[in-house]
Amino acid sequence: MTAPLDVEPSALSADPDAVTNAESSKAVEGRSLKQIAWMRLKRDKVALGGAVVIVLLILIAVFAPLIVKALGHPPNDFHEDLLDPTLLTPKHKYGGINGSYLLGVEPVNGRDIFSRIVYGARISLLTAFLATVLSVTIGTVLGITAGFFGGWVDGLISRTMDILLAFPLLVFAISIGTVIQTANGAVLGLSGTSLSVATLIFIIGFFNWPYIGRIVRGQTLSLREKEFVDAARSLGASNGHIIFKQLLPNLAAPVLVYSTLIIPSNILFEAALSFLGVGVRRPTPSWGSMLSDAVATYSIDPIFMIVPGVALLITVMAFNLLGDGLRDALDPRAGR
Amino acid sequence: MSRNKLVKAGSVAAVLALGAAACGGSSSGSKPTSTGVKATYNAAIGGVVNKSTKVGGTINYVASSDFDSLDPARTYYAYSWDYQRIYQRTLMMFKPVAGKDGASVTGDLATGAGALSDGGKTVTYTLRDGITFETGAAIKSADIKYALERSFAQDVINGGPGATYLSPILVGGKTYKGPYKGGDLASIDATDPKKIVFHLTKAFADFDYLMALPISTPVPKASDTGRNGGANYQFHVVSSGPYKIATYQPGKVLNLVRNTAWKKDSDPNRLALPDKINLIEGLDSADEDQRVLAGSADMEIEGTGVQQDAQSKILTNPTNKVNADNPSTGFTRYISIQQTVAPLDNVHCRRAVQYAADKVALQFSRGGPIAGGDVATQLTPPNLSSYKKIDPYPSGSDNKGDLAKAKDELKQCGKPSGFTTKIATSNKGKGPKTAEALQQGLKRVGINAQIVAVDPSTYYSGVIGLPSNVKKQGLGLAVAGWGPDFPTPYGFFESIVDGRAIKKDGGNSNYAELNDPAINSLIDQAGSETDASKRNDLWAQVDQKVMDAAVILPFVADKALTYRGPRLTNVYINQAFGIYDFVNIGVTS
Amino acid sequence: MGRFVIRRLLGVVVLMFIVSAATFAVFFLGPKFVGADVARNFCGRVCNEQSLVEVKAKLGLDKPIYDQYGAYVKGIFVGRTFGSGETARDCPVPCLGYSFKTDLPVWNQMTDRLPVTFSLAIGAGLIWLVSGVAVGILSALRRGTLFDRAAMSVALAGVSLPVYFTGLVALSVFSYKFKWFVNVHYSGFTDNPAEWAKNLVLPWICLAFLYAATYARLTRANMLETMGEDYIRTARAKGLPEKVVIRKHGFRAALTPIVTIFGLDLGGLLGGAILTESVFGFPGVGKLAVDAIGQQDLPVILGVTLFAGFFIVMANLIVDVLYAYVDPRVRYS
Repeated sequence: MTAPLDVEPSALSADPDAVTNAESSKAVEGRSLKQIAWMRLKRDKVALGGAVVIVLLILIAVFAPLIVKALGHPPNDFHEDLLDPTLLTPKHKYGGINGSYLLGVEPVNGRDIFSRIVYGARISLLTAFLATVLSVTIGTVLGITAGFFGGWVDGLISRTMDILLAFPLLVFAISIGTVIQTANGAVLGLSGTSLSVATLIFIIGFFNWPYIGRIVRGQTLSLREKEFVDAARSLGASNGHIIFKQLLPNLAAPVLVYSTLIIPSNILFEAALSFLGVGVRRPTPSWGSMLSDAVATYSIDPIFMIVPGVALLITVMAFNLLGDGLRDALDPRAGR
Repeated sequence: MSRNKLVKAGSVAAVLALGAAACGGSSSGSKPTSTGVKATYNAAIGGVVNKSTKVGGTINYVASSDFDSLDPARTYYAYSWDYQRIYQRTLMMFKPVAGKDGASVTGDLATGAGALSDGGKTVTYTLRDGITFETGAAIKSADIKYALERSFAQDVINGGPGATYLSPILVGGKTYKGPYKGGDLASIDATDPKKIVFHLTKAFADFDYLMALPISTPVPKASDTGRNGGANYQFHVVSSGPYKIATYQPGKVLNLVRNTAWKKDSDPNRLALPDKINLIEGLDSADEDQRVLAGSADMEIEGTGVQQDAQSKILTNPTNKVNADNPSTGFTRYISIQQTVAPLDNVHCRRAVQYAADKVALQFSRGGPIAGGDVATQLTPPNLSSYKKIDPYPSGSDNKGDLAKAKDELKQCGKPSGFTTKIATSNKGKGPKTAEALQQGLKRVGINAQIVAVDPSTYYSGVIGLPSNVKKQGLGLAVAGWGPDFPTPYGFFESIVDGRAIKKDGGNSNYAELNDPAINSLIDQAGSETDASKRNDLWAQVDQKVMDAAVILPFVADKALTYRGPRLTNVYINQAFGIYDFVNIGVTS
Repeated sequence: MGRFVIRRLLGVVVLMFIVSAATFAVFFLGPKFVGADVARNFCGRVCNEQSLVEVKAKLGLDKPIYDQYGAYVKGIFVGRTFGSGETARDCPVPCLGYSFKTDLPVWNQMTDRLPVTFSLAIGAGLIWLVSGVAVGILSALRRGTLFDRAAMSVALAGVSLPVYFTGLVALSVFSYKFKWFVNVHYSGFTDNPAEWAKNLVLPWICLAFLYAATYARLTRANMLETMGEDYIRTARAKGLPEKVVIRKHGFRAALTPIVTIFGLDLGGLLGGAILTESVFGFPGVGKLAVDAIGQQDLPVILGVTLFAGFFIVMANLIVDVLYAYVDPRVRYS
């Protein structure tokens, strides 16, 4: 997996039509939207900061085993000797933070919080990315289908989206999560942590697609009426050609912006489900379940609550910053 | 009884004179009498704190959840059994006294213990004079007969212990369906309104204990019909004790006021001191602790112990500490090792688990030495009469496991590099942490276990309590705990190690399906042995044999840190329940 | 207009049917799919095959799923009777059945908990609407100033903070450290309004913070966009004072979408502020849902899901209708 930044230019490399269509082509002559966007983004230090943090987080997630080997202790190893035997909180001040345990130790079992945060980044990013890919894929396909074909197809898809949007999402997600957790055998060939992660990805991804579906449908509806589509059609282009060569490239920008903005909400969603106990299986570290564990002790050992919370904050904020930056860069009306 | 946090039915906790619980320095632990003691740490274990006969005032109790049911035929939580004694009377009752006498029974509605005839197969109780319902109507033996019959009607009022215990014991009990469908049960004779006679299939020594359970609370048949009857009786219970229900909003409040129809001279066991007893339910655990420590509530009734924040406030503050107790609850926390799941069918693989487990980590997962309890090396809890210390699988000097021995056992088992299995646990409370602690300990010798966490409501009934499911899902290890329904070694061991008590249809408590003829026959011998010390020897042998089979990995003899409000009087731990006895508590102001 | 409302109301009914059917399916087919038996959860410790059959009959789980669903829907509109003979119980309209766990009517359980969730949602809603919009407008009008940057940075942090983290932080700081709000718990409005408000302050702020941040960002963006529109330029060109331009022309266009989103958010929240209630231990509808889900107490889960879905679609409907008044461009056909 590469950083969204690397993806971005190629996703927009698209087609010259993208430029002819973009309203901004009037403002800056001779430059493609891609170039303009890239230029703007480069100037947006805050967004770049977000991007850098995201790249770092991805590197941390990818190289978690190496990082932990160098700077921490195995994430599931217990260190009861570092705890006060009556209260089961870290013996030393500040949650047991020292040179060897960079972010302190967990109460009750003395696990290295640093290592668990590092490994937690994996779960967090993996579920959020894959769930986003899932909802973007479904949303784009169905959104284009609905917008392009119209009629009963549009009716069916739009009503489905209405229904899904009316679902009390969290209640439903917890319900499915619980049912799957009760399954202690294999379901569809998956079990244990991989089953719980797959479930999370499915729940988060599936219920989010209508949001992107609506946007894509709306964009498709307006694009369908544009001159360049008419032109292509009058030249005898097939539906397939129009969808893939004319519409899709023009949808890339909003889809990209939206994807960047739903990743952080997906991260929070995963954390919320883990917080409520229907996320990943123990002992796989997850920031949400760390926060949930911290509830019992936060009043006497706040570090264990603060560390995963701040990790979540930084990650989510980085994605929000980048998403904002991308939107500003790609939205021709921004910054004028 | 096995539900870790919620259900603590009748934990045997006869704290012995020099038992571990006395380590808090309580001087009163040595005498099982009800002498009053000053409020000090652990004073309510064995002593009566703030002994008083002052009448009047209001007690404010708190609870995190509603009772499982107020219907006496349905309830199965220990604290619920204890609490119902405030306003309900049963045929027999656990003595409302401090010390180990609290684990013995005395007559409540009955004048005394059941009179045995016909070789113990007929038991007769005589009822006291002046016993009445809150309506003023006299309690007749037919009301108790009807109440016991109700407990068979699992189709209408499910959940209670009545049917399990009574159906094999009472003549005709196996096929009886309860009074709603099955008419009456002839083996309970109530022709004389002052006498109730039971006809048993065989002599049953603990019958008096059974009659001390809420199932023998009288229920007027006329009140158990229509809109307010059957499953709805729990919202309209008719009281027989010194208090009656003024308001009951399930999950919110249960307020008791004096029952004016109750006659003091019909009830030698209850002081009935306060005028009102209020209970707020459904509070967050941390909220409960804060209220009790601040004095806006007097006591938390579930007895599972305070949360970590309150624990630090109690233990580090001498003013708070004198109002706290750290009683043994009578539970042994253990890991059940299923011999029905390969490779744990091999005793050496089971022993490898015994040696590899990190008992300190397991103890910490329960809350450490104070909130959790002492590290256990055997199934028998230290305060059971048959306790004789053994340590068949020493886990090293630091209690963190003997990895060399574990590896050796693995070799003998033919799995030198370890194996994989699953750990079942409930997903609430301390279960998940215990499972993680076990998992981590076993990993050190190559035993890789995956955690399967399920909701407590399904855990015992359908997950580990259903043998076919254990096999199907390969749940080699299961986090469990046990305290008996009534405080005798029989009550402790029978359900969990007697091979004949395995319930193939579900509701099984012998998770490992241990069925060793030698153990079964020891249990029979102990049942018929009249000499107490010989009987205890036999039970100690059962303990040893169970440990030899290595199907149970005990790790903690359970304790809880509990807090009693300083204005409460007559506070003591009742050894039958392992929690405070609510029957005679009063207030100073 | 009237026809539009009626058509939408019919849509609501259809939607509720689908939501309930889907929930039903998840909880009936889900456990089958993974090989569990719901009835076992309510069978008690001493469950054997016979009592399992009896419990199944009591809960109605022995009938085929369409029968159960049919009976459920019928109960909502005409009521139903549970059990038979001496122990029969009538469940009046709108009957959502009895909890498997407690045997209490689901309807009563939910209405009992409603005041908690309403207190939480409406209080927090007012706070975030007022503060979010105010900050957003000020930021837009003072674009680029220190205030704007500071407010937008806080808002960005706000949208990035989950309520289960801010809740814990707020409790540890304001309840444990400074003891301003000791022992936060829900206390009824009718019992003591002052206590009620005092206990709700932290939950309100934590919940509102998240939304206020979103609203501030949104208001700011909308204001900026609106102020760049041609008609604003026209208004200015007419020589109207800037204040009038902002108030008469700016606000209206900029805030209309905010009203829409507010309606939807509040609707979603009324169905249960699950996370906030969990963190603060408030016995609201959301907590009821979480507990019921853990225990697989199907009637309660169904009840809460329907209830939450109902608020979401009703909020949609109300917002759509209001739109007609606020925005004359919208026409209903």
